Amino acid sequence: MNTLSFDSKRCERIRQQLDSYLSNELLVETASEVVHHLESCQVCSRDLESRIRVRDALQRAVSNWPVPDSVRTDVVRKLRGSQTRSFAGVSAKRWALGLATAALVLFGLFAAEWLNLRRGEQLIASILKLGVSDHVICALQGHNYPEVANPPDQIREKLGARYAPLLQVVQQRLPGFELLEGHICSIPGSDRKYVHFITRGHGTILSVILTDRNGAALPRDKLLLSADSDGLGIYQDRFSGMEIAGFESGQYFAFVVSDLSQKESLQLARGLAPALNETLHTTARLLPPNAATKWAKLGQTRA
Amino acid sequence: MPYLTELYRTAASLLRDRHEAEDLIQDTYLEAWKSFHRFELGTNCRAWLFKIMFHRLHHVRRRLVKASRVTTIDSPESQDELAAEPVVPQEIRDEDVLNALEKVAVEFREVVLLADVEEFSYREIAETLKIPLGTVMSRLSRGRKLLRQELAEVARSYGISPRTKQAGAAETA
Repeated sequence: MNTLSFDSKRCERIRQQLDSYLSNELLVETASEVVHHLESCQVCSRDLESRIRVRDALQRAVSNWPVPDSVRTDVVRKLRGSQTRSFAGVSAKRWALGLATAALVLFGLFAAEWLNLRRGEQLIASILKLGVSDHVICALQGHNYPEVANPPDQIREKLGARYAPLLQVVQQRLPGFELLEGHICSIPGSDRKYVHFITRGHGTILSVILTDRNGAALPRDKLLLSADSDGLGIYQDRFSGMEIAGFESGQYFAFVVSDLSQKESLQLARGLAPALNETLHTTARLLPPNAATKWAKLGQTRA
Repeated sequence: MPYLTELYRTAASLLRDRHEAEDLIQDTYLEAWKSFHRFELGTNCRAWLFKIMFHRLHHVRRRLVKASRVTTIDSPESQDELAAEPVVPQEIRDEDVLNALEKVAVEFREVVLLADVEEFSYREIAETLKIPLGTVMSRLSRGRKLLRQELAEVARSYGISPRTKQAGAAETA
């Protein structure tokens, strides 16, 4: 038995390298040094053998660990389930988001439309009230019509060249009504004037009124329309017991005002509107622009 | 299903619980499936899957550390440890080594498994566990030694007396 001198410091340094040597992580030079030492040092060799034995035992034990068949099937099932849930989840989220968005958009559209309609109704009411006011003040309260109809020529003279042609339209398009009076009214304290035809029939007084729009316009929303007559939208409302139907014609608003029923009023307006509109356009083409000054000359102040 | 066996056995060795290991594996493949677009073709798929598994595992690491019955040895290795090199049994049963492994703190256990069982390089282990290379080396050294100490305890329980180190001299044949 040979006993070799043991350099504990050298062994200590080599053993510090054994883990990396075991993992094959040493540089070639260092590994050679370790191998050289191990060849001459049984203590370190046994240490390495011990480490290798533990490593091999660990590898063997782990490799012998049983892998249940269910592991693979469970993983596959979870992946499939996840795909389904993911798809369903995404779909549900998208549906929810879509529905919420749609609801929000619909609500927004509804709110905007509702506000728009409300504003439109208010605008229509403010415009149509002009006609009711003119009818009530001039025809009903002012009684500015004769019991016996004025002669047509007299009315034409009052109306002037621009509006005289309308007389025939009113006479023809309001069946069952007699034209009593036609004139141009002015309103004290206001620049607004209006052409006023006063008729009688069906046991009541009915006014056809024409007034300059002055840039104002009735809303175009079809939801606010009561009827359509050859492309002319008819708007209808009721104020102070009076039924009024109105429409735009060129630069004018035209109103049919009476205390008739809504249906009768609307029917009369629909019959009148196309002819009135066509006549106004024809007259506007034939007459020079300064003919509009007839407003001032022919206007009569409303009491 | 690539590397399922290796992943499962590593998970089971770490967790020592079949159901937890299965859950971890399922989560690992699910995560891999979801993030497969991040996998670079031509790179190490096995290392990528292990990286995902340990990423998932570290979410429950605090629980595992608490569950570990061995407290971490924080003191640096002393010169005395050369003489105190544990003696492991010549014959080591699977059950013994797994029981011994279970007693090693998880941060060391996982490095030992990756290096000695899966034979990953230090660099791959560092990337998998997101720790510095030096930490891999120190944890591996410490983990192996803790494992040997636990196995030495097993040897003692079998009546195998630890061999006394003879400092300064060694026998040769």
